[in-house]
Amino acid sequence: MSLFNKNKKDANKDKEIKNKSTDSLDINIGKVREILKNCDDVVYKEFVVGEEQKLRFTLVYIDGMASRNLINLSVLETLMVEARVVAPDAPKYKDKLYELVRYGNIPASELKETEDLDEAILDILIGDAVLFIDGTATLITIGAKGWPARGVNEPSTEAVIRGPRDGFVETFRMNTAMVRRRIRDPKLKLKQMRIGKRSKTDVGIFYIEDIVRGQLLNEVIRRLESIDIDAVLDSGYIEQLIEDDPYSPFPQISLTERPDHVAAELYEGKIVIVVDNTPFALIVPATLNSMFQSPEDYYDRWIIATVLRFIRFAASLIAMLLPGLYIALTSYNPGIIPTRLVLSISATRQGVPFPAVIEAFIMELTLELLREAGIRLPAAIGNTIGIVGGLVIGQAAVQAGIVSPIMVIVVAITAIASFANPSYNLSVGFRMMRFALMIAASILGLYGLTLGFILIVTHLARLKSFNVPYLTPFVAMRPDELKDTILRAPTFNMIKRPYPVSGNIIRMRNNRASINQKTKDGGKNDKK
Amino acid sequence: MIRNNDTISPYQISMIVIMTIIGVGVFSLPAQLAKTAGSDCWFIIPIGGLISMVFMNIILLLNNRFPRKTLPEYAQNIIGKIPGKILTALYAVYSIVFIAYEVRVVNEVIKAFLLFRTPSEVVILSMILISTYAVRGGVECIARVMEIFFPLLFIPLILILIPGVTDIEISNMMPVFYNLSSKIFISIPALAISFAGYELLLYYVGFMENPKKAYKSANIGLIFITITYVIITILCLTVFGVNLLRESIWPLLAYVRNINLPGLFLERLDAIMLAIWLFTVFTTIISIYFVLTYSLSKILNTKEQKQFVLPLVPVIYFIALIPDNIAQAREMPDAFFKYFGSILVFVVPSLLLIIARIRKLRGESL
Repeated sequence: MSLFNKNKKDANKDKEIKNKSTDSLDINIGKVREILKNCDDVVYKEFVVGEEQKLRFTLVYIDGMASRNLINLSVLETLMVEARVVAPDAPKYKDKLYELVRYGNIPASELKETEDLDEAILDILIGDAVLFIDGTATLITIGAKGWPARGVNEPSTEAVIRGPRDGFVETFRMNTAMVRRRIRDPKLKLKQMRIGKRSKTDVGIFYIEDIVRGQLLNEVIRRLESIDIDAVLDSGYIEQLIEDDPYSPFPQISLTERPDHVAAELYEGKIVIVVDNTPFALIVPATLNSMFQSPEDYYDRWIIATVLRFIRFAASLIAMLLPGLYIALTSYNPGIIPTRLVLSISATRQGVPFPAVIEAFIMELTLELLREAGIRLPAAIGNTIGIVGGLVIGQAAVQAGIVSPIMVIVVAITAIASFANPSYNLSVGFRMMRFALMIAASILGLYGLTLGFILIVTHLARLKSFNVPYLTPFVAMRPDELKDTILRAPTFNMIKRPYPVSGNIIRMRNNRASINQKTKDGGKNDKK
Repeated sequence: MIRNNDTISPYQISMIVIMTIIGVGVFSLPAQLAKTAGSDCWFIIPIGGLISMVFMNIILLLNNRFPRKTLPEYAQNIIGKIPGKILTALYAVYSIVFIAYEVRVVNEVIKAFLLFRTPSEVVILSMILISTYAVRGGVECIARVMEIFFPLLFIPLILILIPGVTDIEISNMMPVFYNLSSKIFISIPALAISFAGYELLLYYVGFMENPKKAYKSANIGLIFITITYVIITILCLTVFGVNLLRESIWPLLAYVRNINLPGLFLERLDAIMLAIWLFTVFTTIISIYFVLTYSLSKILNTKEQKQFVLPLVPVIYFIALIPDNIAQAREMPDAFFKYFGSILVFVVPSLLLIIARIRKLRGESL
């Protein structure tokens, strides 16, 4: 792993401290005050310690970001009150003041020392408290991060019926803990880095060492390290900066809010990027197939999961093709649909002044409008809009003769179908393609629709996500991988990990055989 | 495990063979064979398959002599630089006419069944332009396109062909094996055209990491095609009978059209049939198109083939428009492929192999 070595070298180079702290408390604090000028939320707590009250300390932290409770109890109380029992200013400790404070007097779990003022300031900005001691150049950083955070909730984007209910939150450390809780394996590695020149956002790369492909890991690290941006506010920034084809309508990195989903992907040899300040973790590489999977598929029995998968694939096809098909059939090739259906369609279309394309576009655009408005509005009003809009586009538009009832049905089916995809950003991709196909169908009918479909499939075949073909189990075929596509094979049958894994390809022993054997032997006395 | 750019797996070679060879011809194949071989049209297909297999394996032998090299590269080795380039140019010409023929037939079929008044220019140009997108992706992208279209083609095809089985009349296959030897001889041109496409392996096997594996996968591909052809021909023959089959232009389409499924959303399945047929034509076109641009890049010694893709669009387009009507369009392969094509497919690879043997030339071994 040459990359890691390189990192170490870089780190050593940075060790030449530009802004070194001095022995004098006043100079140090003066410098900090200079740098943090006009930052009125910074607290400088000055206090004296010891029997003779001669040792001056200053604790610096940002109000609201550091936990006051922790600071009061484990720093101030111990130093100010308990230190009187073991006096740090007693002559025998005189030379070892720093060691005494560092190792004896601060009962906080996370302590760090530095002589770099810039680093100390960064720690302060992250939410830690830094203790400046008069007479010692070493600064002690106390891990006191504690800001108000949202509690663990059920994720709103990936609801499941069966499965764990906890979802990621905005706090990086809580998220990593939730992943770690599911993988109690020393091989689970977390490589952390800070991205963003100003935001200094924590980014963590999770992987399981002996399953992940080294090449993939190096590539992810390379791409993350090449990011040079001032602020990262959400994992979306990182997604857009490291994805393979930014011009594609299809997402090449999948998102999840669910720690169980993350754990499942890690066990399949993928890499998960957790970003601070967002509940959305990134999973690389992503394939089209993986975006059709919901964590629930593996919790349910395989027959149910297979049926659901099939429905999802069919729904995506419908969401993409149906309006285009309607346009092509009604305006170019009505002969293909049964005569009676043609008659009833043309009867309902009698009063409609527009061609099928315009009709379809009016309805589809109205639908997208409703959907967008529904998301932006507060939940209570959003529902109202949904009902009003539904009534308007459903009933009134038909009665006014703007669209035909058949068109309303088509649009409704498409809308429902596009919600059936578990991956939100993939379904947006399919939705956009729908409009392209509608235009193609309106120009060249079924031929245009087919060509459009061919173009989309070709595009998908061309796409890659971190060097893994986007259509992976369907292309670059290995029969084993087809067990987890439209079909979700029985759990005992999925013995191998899927494609992007390096070593350790076997993930389970087929326990079915031994169970069957035991029931045969021990079941002699049973009825069956 | 992850493959580098521009390499093809053995499985992808099977797919390339299958998806390249099955092209526009599959619609008209049963009729052409019925004309020459009568009621034995289904039986001579395996014979055609065997003949193709012989020549395909010659090509594979040649490729295995020069692993990881494509025809333009080793041809220059075998017969010298300039003659090698001329030979490559001949294949390029062959490819360009092949593509033009395919898009022209697409045009005729689309105009006969789907878009009656749309100008040919639009139909032809849109097909070529769609193909350019895949070709610009390079050989790896083409291989993946083949792979993904294989199930998209064959699963619906099987589903569509099954309902027509009710109309089968086995007696239409009679008389069997009547005057077989003479029939085989006159059927060879039609057979050669419907099996044409495996000569592209001269190029594609060169992209494999281990060309030895190509033997198995290419032969499996060819056997698969033979079986598909036999099934399609038997279905058409037993449903229509020899006399009707001889007269029809697109018998497979007529077969699908004949299927009546009351109560289904689509009354006529031929629209779906046309759509999936477009898939096979598309894969055939991009497969040849890539070989064309690749040949040009090797003749002109450029690093990439991408830049040749778009300039060739008007050329293909004009060649496709040369025939005046469908009759002429269908004579295109007869006149062109019979002589020129058969030299390139049968004679040249054998000659190259013999020369390489005599001169004891070999590529770097693995």
